[in-house]
Amino acid sequence: MTAPLLSARGVSMRFGRVAAVRDAALSIEPGESIGIVGESGSGKSTLARILAGLQPPSEGEVLFRGQPVYAGGIAYPGPLRRQVQMVFQDPYGSLNPRMTALAAVAEACRFHERCSAAEATARSLDLLARMGIGPDDARKKPRLLSGGQRQRASVARALSASPALLIADEPTSAIDQSAQAQLLNLFHGLLGQGLSIILISHDLAVVRYLARRVHVMRDGEIVEAGETATVFEHPQHPYTQALIASIPGRKPKETAP
Amino acid sequence: MSLLTIENLTIGIPRGSAAPLAIVENASLWLQPGEMLGLIGESGSGKTMLCRSLIGTLRRRGAAILSGRITLAGTDLAHTDERAWRDIRGRRVGYVPQSALAGPNPVMTIGAQLREAILQGTPGADVPARARELLDLVQIRRPELVLAQYPHQLSGGMRQRVMIACAIAGTPELLVADEPTTGLDVTVQAGIMQLLRDIRARLGTAIILVSHDLALVDDVCDRILVMHAGACVEAVPAHAAPRHPYTIALNRSRIELAEPGTPLVTIAGQPPSVGAWPPGCRFAARCDIAQPDCRLGPHPPMRGEAHANACLHPERAA
Repeated sequence: MTAPLLSARGVSMRFGRVAAVRDAALSIEPGESIGIVGESGSGKSTLARILAGLQPPSEGEVLFRGQPVYAGGIAYPGPLRRQVQMVFQDPYGSLNPRMTALAAVAEACRFHERCSAAEATARSLDLLARMGIGPDDARKKPRLLSGGQRQRASVARALSASPALLIADEPTSAIDQSAQAQLLNLFHGLLGQGLSIILISHDLAVVRYLARRVHVMRDGEIVEAGETATVFEHPQHPYTQALIASIPGRKPKETAP
Repeated sequence: MSLLTIENLTIGIPRGSAAPLAIVENASLWLQPGEMLGLIGESGSGKTMLCRSLIGTLRRRGAAILSGRITLAGTDLAHTDERAWRDIRGRRVGYVPQSALAGPNPVMTIGAQLREAILQGTPGADVPARARELLDLVQIRRPELVLAQYPHQLSGGMRQRVMIACAIAGTPELLVADEPTTGLDVTVQAGIMQLLRDIRARLGTAIILVSHDLALVDDVCDRILVMHAGACVEAVPAHAAPRHPYTIALNRSRIELAEPGTPLVTIAGQPPSVGAWPPGCRFAARCDIAQPDCRLGPHPPMRGEAHANACLHPERAA
């Protein structure tokens, strides 16, 4: 077994009297995809923020390549910072409305790597093209892009850091079905190139498709974890069973003869 | 006899001396009493505007009916003034908004809002008795407690149940639910869908359920109307094989049926924007089987009764 890329042990997060996350443990290997599912308020986004270095936990430890993430007051210090990137649910809120997609990605390129404006532009156009956004659309502002394009531009921006781990919090919730398929295909390709992905979602169909292992959260606790196929075939926890029974459309629509 | 008939309805935004900007063009649909119709399409396909034409709120978005007919059990809804709409809205057509956006009024108790809806639906009704009856219908336990609460004290699912109670307060013949579970959890979504089906069964209400989730409407509805770029392209019975290339592609891109590890089917390109519709079929540029005649003339109308399809070459689609 390879060493985990990221691991968390005994992670808890309390906001006042509310325990948002309780004693959570998980790990992800290089090139692996894991899912965290649960309903609103289950603590999955808080856990994601803790793993991403955005929120120090009340208790517990997060290790990235064996190094503590929250040591010495700065999360992911120095060169570790760029290794973990995050994509959020609302692609409109995460892009500056006054910057073109190209400018937004180029800004991130220059933040992460010392390079000239021309180099940053070339690299950004390449990243956006890999995300299916051509040079014409790349020069548009977010309001002129579709929801799916905006989300793919956000992913391009995250990838500009050449991260080892991408944490995606509900990336498909705000976009149309065919745009979801495009984004998931992109994630699939990125996994093939060795990126690790932590996918947070309340959409179990998305997690089933993309994540090799899944963690089910409820009321701040991971109540069930395992290989995705196994958990979906034989859910053990009653809550997981209820979640899986609620997925619409598991009955296939018959295909045309 | 259909409860609702829409014929060649065109909705657009008037622009003074310039030609109006069409948002929905030549839409047609029919609905039987007690039928549940799913309405799906990508963002911008015109599904919300079509719904607004059924509750008379197009003008609030600066839009208007440019041509065509809407008939609800003999009543003409296409040429109805605001005064007449007050007798239709809530009494004959109920409306459930998107949960996340237009929720209940935050500064009114649930009881006060329900009271408004009840009196709008049935002037002179016994409000306390009817409120308890409605909350029972939407399966809210402890109605006395909920009636005294404000919306922020309720969960998203409970709030949506209250909105449904308000929408059915006047026992309308038709209920329009515009993405009622967007932003709600899957288990809550399943509960709301079951509730809509129960209401249909108990009250005989016809329901139009708007969604962008084909899997969801295929599960709960009797028929599905598919819209693309302002046009109705297919009306397909639930669980039947789709025949329009757009619906076929949507069906194939369903994630819950995909084998993990295999690429998902995607639909090339974007739907054309409002104001930039090409001649002919607006799906032609994204379609694998498009023929030269697909790019000519007006958008093809749907043909067929039980299963209507706008594709000019259905024999090629598979």
